[in-house]
Amino acid sequence: MNFDLTEEQKLIKDMVREFAENEIAPSASERDEEERFDRGLMFDKLGELGLTGIVFPEEYGGAGADYISYAIAVEELSRVCASTGVTLSAHLSLGSNPIYLFGTETQKQKFLTPMAKGEKMGAFGLTEPAAGSDAGGTKTTARREGDSWILNGTKIFITNAGEAEIYVVMARTDKDAQKHHGISAFIVEKGTPGFSFGKKEKKMGIRSSPTMELVFENCQIPADNMLGKEGEGFKVAMKTLDGGRIGIAAQALGIAQGALEAAVNYAKERKQFDNPIASFQGIMFQLADMACMVESARLLVYQAAYKASNGQSYTQASAMAKLVASETAMKVSTQAVQVLGGYGYTREFPVERMMRDAKITEIYEGTSEIQRLVIGTNLTR
Amino acid sequence: MKALLIAESREGKVLGSCSELVAFAQKAGSDSVMFMVGTDSNLPAYDGTIYLADAAKYGEYNPAVHKQLILDVVTKEKPDMIVFSHSSYGWDLAPRVAFALEAAQFSEVADIVDGDPVVPACNSKLRRRLKAKSTVKVLTLQAGAFSLAEPITASPNVEKIDTDTAGKVTFLGYEEAPKGGVDLGKAAIIVSAGRGVGGKDNIPMVAALAKALGGEYGASRPVVDAEWVEHARQVGTTGQTVSPKLYVACGISGAIQHLAGMKKSEFIVAINTDKDAPIGEVADVLVVADVKQFLPALTERLQAG
Amino acid sequence: MKILVCIKQVPDMESRFKVDSAGTWYDTTELVWRMNEYDEYGVEQAVQLKEQTGGDLTVLCIGPDRVKETMKKALAMGCDRGAHVNDPDYATRDPFEIGAIIAEYASDKGFDVIFTGMQSQDRGSAQVGVLVSELLGIPAVTTIVDFVLEGSTVNVKRELEGGIKAKVSVTLPALFTCQLGLNTPRYPTLPNIMKAKKKELLSIPVQDLLKVAFRLETVSMQLPEKKGGGLVLEGDAGELADKLITILKEKTGVLAK
Repeated sequence: MNFDLTEEQKLIKDMVREFAENEIAPSASERDEEERFDRGLMFDKLGELGLTGIVFPEEYGGAGADYISYAIAVEELSRVCASTGVTLSAHLSLGSNPIYLFGTETQKQKFLTPMAKGEKMGAFGLTEPAAGSDAGGTKTTARREGDSWILNGTKIFITNAGEAEIYVVMARTDKDAQKHHGISAFIVEKGTPGFSFGKKEKKMGIRSSPTMELVFENCQIPADNMLGKEGEGFKVAMKTLDGGRIGIAAQALGIAQGALEAAVNYAKERKQFDNPIASFQGIMFQLADMACMVESARLLVYQAAYKASNGQSYTQASAMAKLVASETAMKVSTQAVQVLGGYGYTREFPVERMMRDAKITEIYEGTSEIQRLVIGTNLTR
Repeated sequence: MKALLIAESREGKVLGSCSELVAFAQKAGSDSVMFMVGTDSNLPAYDGTIYLADAAKYGEYNPAVHKQLILDVVTKEKPDMIVFSHSSYGWDLAPRVAFALEAAQFSEVADIVDGDPVVPACNSKLRRRLKAKSTVKVLTLQAGAFSLAEPITASPNVEKIDTDTAGKVTFLGYEEAPKGGVDLGKAAIIVSAGRGVGGKDNIPMVAALAKALGGEYGASRPVVDAEWVEHARQVGTTGQTVSPKLYVACGISGAIQHLAGMKKSEFIVAINTDKDAPIGEVADVLVVADVKQFLPALTERLQAG
Repeated sequence: MKILVCIKQVPDMESRFKVDSAGTWYDTTELVWRMNEYDEYGVEQAVQLKEQTGGDLTVLCIGPDRVKETMKKALAMGCDRGAHVNDPDYATRDPFEIGAIIAEYASDKGFDVIFTGMQSQDRGSAQVGVLVSELLGIPAVTTIVDFVLEGSTVNVKRELEGGIKAKVSVTLPALFTCQLGLNTPRYPTLPNIMKAKKKELLSIPVQDLLKVAFRLETVSMQLPEKKGGGLVLEGDAGELADKLITILKEKTGVLAK
């Protein structure tokens, strides 16, 4: 048992922290305010640093680092800007990883390599109006026509949509098969005729990250773009989400860490009744509880990442990490606003943004309820 | 005890830090002689002998040659201390002289306590008292740490010196500071306007004080939001974080988001009509006055010099 | 071209410092360590020069085992190999000893260019680089904010007070001490962080290189006196202005010039 980060992990943490503080943080509140995604800053620069392919082997343009390094990167980015954190997480865990896990060699060369290098951005199309937590409810269809598949349907709440070049999309290929069995995964490139984007969502948080609809109207894609085997789509989706949960858990952890630091710094500065408010037990105890929650979440997140890196099953671990980290992010950011009082409620300080950003981590890539279901089912089967 | 004081001249003009060298010698109770590479048409006020090498001949930056000229004076005068300013000239030359004399060097001396030099460490968060193993000592003095009670009016007795040592580098001249553009992070002195200055029309008053002090002017957030001053000059959590040698807060109450951006300044002066304004907690000096009356009075006196 | 860059590991300057039990240095437990800020510019310039000339770049650092972490960053930024002078007592060494260790290391290696920071953030003596150059008998230019190599000549700009720069030209071999703002230090990229692991990092016991005696010793280290409650001045505007000018002259360096 060893709780120390390796030398590389420490270097990565320091580097991403420095980058995040110097480059990402200064515009975080402005981008939130303007609901503006900045591709050059929030994706291209991550590519230059080698973060966009952090866990993939060098032969596919990756850095060959482990999942703990990945979690650390998402955590450090989210500590200052949760929108940047989710951009990386959605690109890597949801857009790129299924191609790495299920793609043919040709698909990996063609799609994964430029994605890992940060030349192309990835996204994942699963959710539909009638299929959120229940992926089996997918209504989007894919119909075989010669050497092509024809996609029809709409995906909603898609992170990185509009900006990403490569989309991994779930569609029903067999209407008659049982719910989960008739679904297949496809790789769809931006610009394919019949593939367009619907409305941009106006969100409570992660406002600097674009969320849009994907619209498929007789969208014709080559048969070679099927990812995995026909009818294997549900498996692709579930495996992808296992990995995605580590990314979102790390995002939540980063938000919680950022909120904790903001609260501690403020409590040491702010004086009431001639003393820093940090010296009052009421505040001090709150900070202590917040710190314990953050550290517990961190251990779970790193543990899930460790399992993912070492070929162990991590479905249970990533569900626990995602559940605890996201609820921690929500609680800690809410308490941080409380510690900052009136200032915390204003946009002058980042904690209100963190609180708004935290909420989504309890919802996307499996709501807290779904995580409990996953964990509980595993426990009792 | 005898000190050799190394005065500085730039573009033919003696630098004001020269008087700090004299103040140090006085405080140390030491006799002194002076050395300068400069010109006899612009000499420091000094009551003693100055060894003068011709800057036109040797260049204002020519370390190997300046070192040799100093060593020649050392041979002749046998000082116990060679004293430089801790400046781009001093910290460049002092270690060369110290090395040649096998002497210990005290860098950025801020004070003398019981005969030992005191120097800062870790951004002045700590102080160290030092002792030398060598008999001859080399010192560089922190800017502003030593100053004269009375200005000197005497003229020095000039002894011209020469050397035939060759230089190792070629000094090609100066490049003047670029005009325009604000980087408050680099300013040594910042005068900032808060809402208490009263209105946009009073901003020039703040800028004038900044100019008189040789610094830049900044502003608090409300002033920037009100568009009295451009955003590039904003100090605070949503602006720049600064730590100048002197920060003058004019009509700034001291909201926490402003304090976060400037409280690391070395010396803080606050001007405020409210004696209990929170800015008073971080200020070294709180001047209880109306900015509109006090600023012109201060600027006028500074300009009168 | 053979290039050497010397770096130091220093505490994060935001740390809350305490004096150690001997009373002569700061307590080193529970500090966060990082590369001396000035040295980051040195490493960046050295890596740029290496890339420009296809040269060979060594990074040197003196200190206990923990400094290797900082050296890894330099390797990840692009240095080819590390020379770690293993010295648990590095904090007690005076600038002359540190300079002599570096000069002894460099003496038989024929470096064309040596970079150091202009000063360290903790000790701030601004002596080591110049002492190395004197010991090696090569020219040094300090406080550079611009560096251009043309043939075997280097044109640099030194930063002087008040934003003025001095333009200086020097023929190699030479040493340069780097000022903040010389360049934009790069972030080590992920692939380079992974590669840094495989680069040579040689450890040399300090006894092999330290052949001089110190010239300066620290008698004591203290925290500066606490700022008392600020002085409150009240009265007529003119009188107040006179009083304030007197205080500024006494307490700050800004009006002395």
